[in-house]
Amino acid sequence: MDGAFNRVVASITLRAAFGRKRALLFALPAVILILLTLILKEARPPGAPWPGRVLGDFGFSVVLSLTALIIGTSVLGAEIDEGSIVHLLATPVRRSSVIVTKFVIGAVLTMVFVAVPELIAGLIVSGGVSKLAIGLFVGALAGSVVYNAVFVMLSVLTTRAIAVGLLYVLVWEVVLGNFVGGAKLLSVQQYGLGVANSIAHYSALNAGLGLSTALIMGVIVTVVTLVLATRRLSEFSLKGDAV
Amino acid sequence: MSVSRGSTGAPPVPAGAEPGVIHDIGYRRYTGRRLGRAQIIRALYWHSLRSAYGLGRGAKAKIVPVLAFAIMCLPAIVNAVSMSQGGGRIVDYDTYTNQLRVVVMIIFIAAQAPELVSRDLRSHVLPLYFCRPLRRLDYPVAKLAAFITACLVIIEIPLLLLYLGTVAQVHSGSAVWDQTRALIPGLLVGLMWSVLLAAIGLALASLTGRRAYATGSIAIYFFLTWILAGILIAVTQRNVVRTVNVKPPPGAPLPPGVPAGGTVQAHVVTQVPTTATHLVGLVSPFTTLDGVRQWLGGTSVGPVPGVAGYGALYGAMLLVLLAVSLAGLAARYRKAGSL
Amino acid sequence: MSAIELRGVSRWYGNVVAVNDVTMTIGPGVTGLLGPNGAGKSTVLHLIAGFLAPSRGELTVGGVPSWRNPDIYRTVGLVPERDSVYAFLTGAEFVSTTAKLHRLADPAGATRRAIAIVDMADAQDRRISTYSKGMRQRIKVAAALVHDPQVLLLDEPFNGMDPRQRLHMMDLLTRLGAEGRTILLSSHILEEVEQLADTIQVIVSGRLAASGDFRAIRRLMTSRPHVFLVRSSDDRGLGSALIGRQAVTGVELTGGGLQVRACDFGAFSRELAGLARDKDIRLRELLPEDEDLESVFAYLLES
Repeated sequence: MDGAFNRVVASITLRAAFGRKRALLFALPAVILILLTLILKEARPPGAPWPGRVLGDFGFSVVLSLTALIIGTSVLGAEIDEGSIVHLLATPVRRSSVIVTKFVIGAVLTMVFVAVPELIAGLIVSGGVSKLAIGLFVGALAGSVVYNAVFVMLSVLTTRAIAVGLLYVLVWEVVLGNFVGGAKLLSVQQYGLGVANSIAHYSALNAGLGLSTALIMGVIVTVVTLVLATRRLSEFSLKGDAV
Repeated sequence: MSVSRGSTGAPPVPAGAEPGVIHDIGYRRYTGRRLGRAQIIRALYWHSLRSAYGLGRGAKAKIVPVLAFAIMCLPAIVNAVSMSQGGGRIVDYDTYTNQLRVVVMIIFIAAQAPELVSRDLRSHVLPLYFCRPLRRLDYPVAKLAAFITACLVIIEIPLLLLYLGTVAQVHSGSAVWDQTRALIPGLLVGLMWSVLLAAIGLALASLTGRRAYATGSIAIYFFLTWILAGILIAVTQRNVVRTVNVKPPPGAPLPPGVPAGGTVQAHVVTQVPTTATHLVGLVSPFTTLDGVRQWLGGTSVGPVPGVAGYGALYGAMLLVLLAVSLAGLAARYRKAGSL
Repeated sequence: MSAIELRGVSRWYGNVVAVNDVTMTIGPGVTGLLGPNGAGKSTVLHLIAGFLAPSRGELTVGGVPSWRNPDIYRTVGLVPERDSVYAFLTGAEFVSTTAKLHRLADPAGATRRAIAIVDMADAQDRRISTYSKGMRQRIKVAAALVHDPQVLLLDEPFNGMDPRQRLHMMDLLTRLGAEGRTILLSSHILEEVEQLADTIQVIVSGRLAASGDFRAIRRLMTSRPHVFLVRSSDDRGLGSALIGRQAVTGVELTGGGLQVRACDFGAFSRELAGLARDKDIRLRELLPEDEDLESVFAYLLES
């Protein structure tokens, strides 16, 4: 049972995620993505090929990263912030189990709120099942997994996980990723786009990495961040009243 | 219970006397001058401004604002270096590397607006504030003034650095005057940015006591609308193909039938904005600000490719966004008793 | 083997020493961890509970260190001070979740028992967000008891409880202590600990100032005079007789009687009766003025 998915932890995490209004925030970017796709499909604008921009730039830069940020930082971050994590940790449950369970829940939720809408948008664009739609779907799945690992780790490392995550997404991925080639190697968006492009072969997606690079880096980042997160969680400390 | 040893100086009450005496053990009421409402507002303003930059808190609270400020100053520094090496200026005052400024402002506002207002909501200290001579609207006014000032610092100081870096390189008085004249509109644009973005940021942050949700909401609103505007601007433009006569460069192979020194027909594709392009900028506060800038006479190239006749719409949108944010803040704190 | 052992445990944060070279042993029964706010009581509790690592020294619970060792929670229950429970769960769900996390064989039964122990059965199906502070404390105790732990750590357990709830909790803790469990509770509310704890550990500014039975501690501080209030048929006469004795360092005639300061408690108590009889003075009342924990506390803080 060591390090395995823990159903009790999963149930608390799911209930916490949907118990409040914050669940609306999860859905908002995805809804906008689909609406936008529908509108543009109807309007047939004359300019630059819009599917690449909407499904690639908007879909991966905004919808995937922001939704994963909100979900990934709240599956563990909310409990740490409130202090209720103590009740979870004052039991023999394995710390690795806690991290893995929350990571899986976060990844699955992100897949539901991002990968599925991307698939739907892809289907709308192509008018049916196509390499583009499948590629986007799989790419978003991969991105969801790696993003959640990173953000769960951030939640354990700092109380300002969402601000740091935002710095990462905006400064590292969006700004530096466009200007500095090497930054793409550590950019989760690029892993997702790389996987998507390997199936869709759609140059307008602006994928910077090939499939093998994206997969290898994605797996490395996921494993490293989850291991780090587990170690830090097993050293979780409560401050005394004097400090 | 044992008999108390009695307070300093006064003897214990003998049995049979009246119960309950308050002993004078030196407690004094404050009888000095009490500062009024203006001072409270000023103190609240100053305290909020400091916390926008993490001053007065630990080192961790300073990381994001200081980092944001440093990143914002980079173009000014790069420009100064490039000019000193003989290159031209690469950053102008009007737009100041728009993309970087947008990203830094999103981060700064999303991270710091919750520090100003969400914390007070979470710890339920508002009733404490309002039992002092502080009117209901004074609180959001002070907070907004402080946050606008904080945004002014992060926007205008890099502009000033840019100005100083440029002025240090030029040598004639008229060039300095030119620079100054170019700087002023840039500063005014920065003022517009600060006021609008601070108002929206605070209004969104005041909706929740949890800093994480506030940061998330602000980030989603600003980032999503900005990328959306960018995409819509790009896709709504029309490709116009023009045929022009060009002279081929010397030494280039000539197509058949063309004498040497003659001209060749070429197709040039340009992006021309349509009506839709002019209007989609209204979606995002950043492009709205750029639209207003162009309407008011700004000429530099910005994210919005010209406002045509719709400049007034951009101005109206700016005012609408501002009004909604201010109204939201006012409404939020009017019922502060229950917060 | 004693339940909880600390040997030379220190914990510091940069320049601030929160716990300073504390050595103590805590065995079965109820032990009170006393000290003013900021003295380091919570820090010591978190160290013992495995939620803080000692900067120096050894700390074991049941023979094994508690840091980075989730298995100790099979025998340790913690009731933290912070009001931090899963507010969206009902009381019963919260306790039963804890039971399942402990992998108990019969979570439902254990939940029922734990909730019955803290007398929360009628509120158990309401969400914790609707509970009062005292009710939240009780449900936290239920969650800490659901796995029948041998060691129970409570951080300021009486915070927010009304007198009836407090009495109930004190009964419960006394009962648990009598069963042979090791109960450690921290508090700065002296009256409760006075009635509840068999032994106390006094922490002042991070140091262990005293441990043991509080009456015995008081007697150990013989450098400080004990103060008594005597009421007799002739206070002045008794006073003048007493001042001649070695054991007495001062007398004072007060409106309520004769206040006597004795540096040697034993000698004074032996001599008083004989003295009164010799002078033909009838003793009406003899009260110690500073045997309560508050005075002990105050003396320890002053020293």
